[in-house]
Amino acid sequence: MKLVSEVGVGTVAAGVAKGHADMILISGGDGGTGAAPLSSIHHAGLPWELGLSEAHQTLVLNNLRSRVRLQTDGQIRTGKDIAIAAILGAEEYGFGTAALIVLGCVMLRHCNLGNCSVGVATQNELLRKRFNGKVEYLVNYFNFVAEELRKIMANLGIRKIEDMIGNTELLDVNEKILDWKTKDLDFKDILYKPESKSHGGVFYSKPEKHDLDDILDIKLIDLAKNAILKEEKTKHNIIIKNTNRTVGSRLSGEVCYVYGEKGLRDDTIHFKFRGVAGQSFGAFLAKGITFELEGMSNDYVGKGIFGGKIVIYPDKQTTYKSEENIIIGNTSFYGATNGEAYIRGIAGERFCIRNSGLLAVIEGVGDHGCEYMTGGRVVIIGKTGRNFAAGMSGGIAYVYDIAGDFKSKCNLGMVKLKEINRHDSKIIHSLITNHYKYTESNRAKEILQDFDNMMEKFIKVIPSEYEHILKTERKENLKQWVKSIVE
Amino acid sequence: MGKINGFLEIQRESSKLRPSEERIKDYKDVIVHRNDDKSQEQAARCMDCGTPFCHWGCPIGNYIPEWNDLMFNNQWQKAYELLSATNNLPEITGRICPAPCEHSCVLSINDEAITIKENELAVIEHAFKSGFIKANPNIKSTGKKIAVVGSGPAGLATADQLNKAGHRVTVFERDKKIGGILRYGIPDFKLEKDILDRRLKLMKKENIEFKANTFVGVDITAGELQKNFDAVCLACGSKVPRDLKIQGRELKGIHFAMDFLMQSNKRVWGEKIPASELIDAKNKEVIVIGGGDTGANCVGVAKRQGAKCITQIEILEKPPECRTSNEPWPYYPLILKSSSSHEEGCERHWSVLTKRFIGKDGKVRKLECSKVEFSGSSEKSCPVMKEIEASEFEINADLVILAVGFLHPEPKGLVGDLNLELTEFGNVKTDENFMTSKEGIFSAGDMHRGQSLIVWAISEGRKAAHHIDKYLMGKSNLPIM
Repeated sequence: MKLVSEVGVGTVAAGVAKGHADMILISGGDGGTGAAPLSSIHHAGLPWELGLSEAHQTLVLNNLRSRVRLQTDGQIRTGKDIAIAAILGAEEYGFGTAALIVLGCVMLRHCNLGNCSVGVATQNELLRKRFNGKVEYLVNYFNFVAEELRKIMANLGIRKIEDMIGNTELLDVNEKILDWKTKDLDFKDILYKPESKSHGGVFYSKPEKHDLDDILDIKLIDLAKNAILKEEKTKHNIIIKNTNRTVGSRLSGEVCYVYGEKGLRDDTIHFKFRGVAGQSFGAFLAKGITFELEGMSNDYVGKGIFGGKIVIYPDKQTTYKSEENIIIGNTSFYGATNGEAYIRGIAGERFCIRNSGLLAVIEGVGDHGCEYMTGGRVVIIGKTGRNFAAGMSGGIAYVYDIAGDFKSKCNLGMVKLKEINRHDSKIIHSLITNHYKYTESNRAKEILQDFDNMMEKFIKVIPSEYEHILKTERKENLKQWVKSIVE
Repeated sequence: MGKINGFLEIQRESSKLRPSEERIKDYKDVIVHRNDDKSQEQAARCMDCGTPFCHWGCPIGNYIPEWNDLMFNNQWQKAYELLSATNNLPEITGRICPAPCEHSCVLSINDEAITIKENELAVIEHAFKSGFIKANPNIKSTGKKIAVVGSGPAGLATADQLNKAGHRVTVFERDKKIGGILRYGIPDFKLEKDILDRRLKLMKKENIEFKANTFVGVDITAGELQKNFDAVCLACGSKVPRDLKIQGRELKGIHFAMDFLMQSNKRVWGEKIPASELIDAKNKEVIVIGGGDTGANCVGVAKRQGAKCITQIEILEKPPECRTSNEPWPYYPLILKSSSSHEEGCERHWSVLTKRFIGKDGKVRKLECSKVEFSGSSEKSCPVMKEIEASEFEINADLVILAVGFLHPEPKGLVGDLNLELTEFGNVKTDENFMTSKEGIFSAGDMHRGQSLIVWAISEGRKAAHHIDKYLMGKSNLPIM
């Protein structure tokens, strides 16, 4: 887990360590790619020393240090840098700029333009031929770095790098080189050495236990064996709990392993879950997998879904109205690229953020819905929160505006609100029909019964630029079609 | 950046030279200067590097990527303003600078460098043509008077900078015309003199006073200078030539390069030289000893005077044609340079030691030479020269030009009168503020640095001006570069 060096990073690092991270990287502000804007290069970020010492101290005090490897980076170049980083608590050290320079980078700061004249930061074959670096240069450089570190360690009387980690007694401030601005700074807190309370250790010594060998996906993969190997249709009923996290990701991995990006035929693997799903239910779900959930789910449903289908409806024994109650948590379908989703109920905040291709039907969303969306179609047959469609640059959302206040909730910075046309209503009709088919939604039924009148209450949310692109594309297609007929 | 990927689409292309047979008939510029469109196209190759090494290679820190971009985008006025912010004589460096910037150009790592020198020339000539350059006399005056001794590139740069700071500057020159080495040392085919006159006219309009034909130390004493001026800057160059004190040196027909070049320049602008002093290469077998830039200029002049044949010899080994790993980018490499003069017809020999001059009737007739080799070069010691046994040979010579470098400024005269401290090489010693051992007397250029490039002289002049201004006013707004 990469964390930026800043005040308070210790708390974040402790949380990440508790969350079973293997390694925590404290990244300093001095480094960075040449693609970064000058203002960021000069003015953003803090030195790694600040964040590293805080993270190390917090982890030691909370008895977490021995569980994670602590890495730091940000213009680390010499053996001395490594020695200081080790003393402040790091056991891994990232080299970026220095290693690139050894290989021939001349800091053109064009990394973003793809025209690096020395062939370092480019995929252009012509330019790549100009790359002159050799592995030996790197070996040579790191030999020098290691040699310098060895000399420093010998001077300090240290045999192993582990003996240096967090051993701040070895480090002192050289008052002589401090200038008028830095001379009054108090370095005491950076050089503080906390006691490890229950002798938990001050460096990485106990590999993290991830407990990944008996997760639900192992069972799913086993049940779907024939489907994955022989493309046979399978359907199973499974009980799910909220400690079952990221269900479906490993399974998707197996499907991709065999079939690549195109996946399986739709609905080849069908799991029907019952219960409350944990976080990231159906994350990265591959094409050909259908997850049906009777119950509800925590956050991050369908994160990064790329072809799978997710259907969620409330437990059939409940009596509440689905369209008035939250059924899935926040940030669902984040970064979705492809697939379908039919949710009978309301989602929390940040629904379908950065969606680029998912077709979704839902009965209401919280704040910031469809933010930064770039593609796909979203039909919302219920209320939305505020700041809808902020920064949305592609895709279309169709909102059923029952209360008539949608305009005040939508962020109109990049999008236009339009009436539904015939083409739109066809899409909406087919999606809502599917929704009804899969979830037996009452709201869907109402709409379908009086579809033409209901269409008047729908609002089309479309980014202006995206609309322009679609129009040009359509014209182009028409031209092609006319041309093919004439010929 | 001029044009993204411009360097992939456009090849380096320099201006063409006039055909050899045509150009040796006159002393006009050997280059056919390219038009602005071509220069803009070449500027498109500049990559606007995040870390521009051309800034580092250029002694005066020209804003090269910036004005390349501006000229590419047709913003010539801004390009000119940026260029003149760091360079007092761009039309001169644009013609005769050996362009260390191009050797440190990032593109030259694996491609051909940008034509920086010619782009510089394009900017300044466009500016002159379009009337961007107007005399801009200083209205404010500090009331301080400064004497600059010597009107070469260092003297002119110092004077120009100090004048901009509002001081009253007087430039003294012992020769008849202003310009020092630019006037007398560089042949017209490299730098036509009206280019220099154009700049001097501008400087005069900006109230810099020029006193030619005034030999400081003879016509006016150093003491008078000190009395009448608040500060003095000595920029008299490194005038004492290295001699070749071997048998037969006293023979007639052996001359120092600068004497030869000065006379030639004077003849080009129509001064009469007494027959007894005339050095003329017409119908002579000419030997130029010394393989540097001055030697090359001598070759070109001798060719134009109608020499029968010209041979240039150099004691050092023939330098490599491309960069070697001993001189990696971005360093200025010692590689083989062939100037326009060499193309015009001359033989070149390397590893040749001149052992003695052989004469007849008091006139030089032959050179006795031998081949040498060098060995044992290391970081700590210079390579040791060894004569190759039985490699002696003779070359015919009616005229021998010694172009083997310059040692140091003239130790007598001004330097002696002022009793200035010298360095171990005989150059004028200064502190880090360019002040000599005498309070209020500064030194810049070759006189201080030892023989070097014109662009270094400009750099020295600019730095000295900053320190003189600071000395007089307590602080200076003049740039330190």
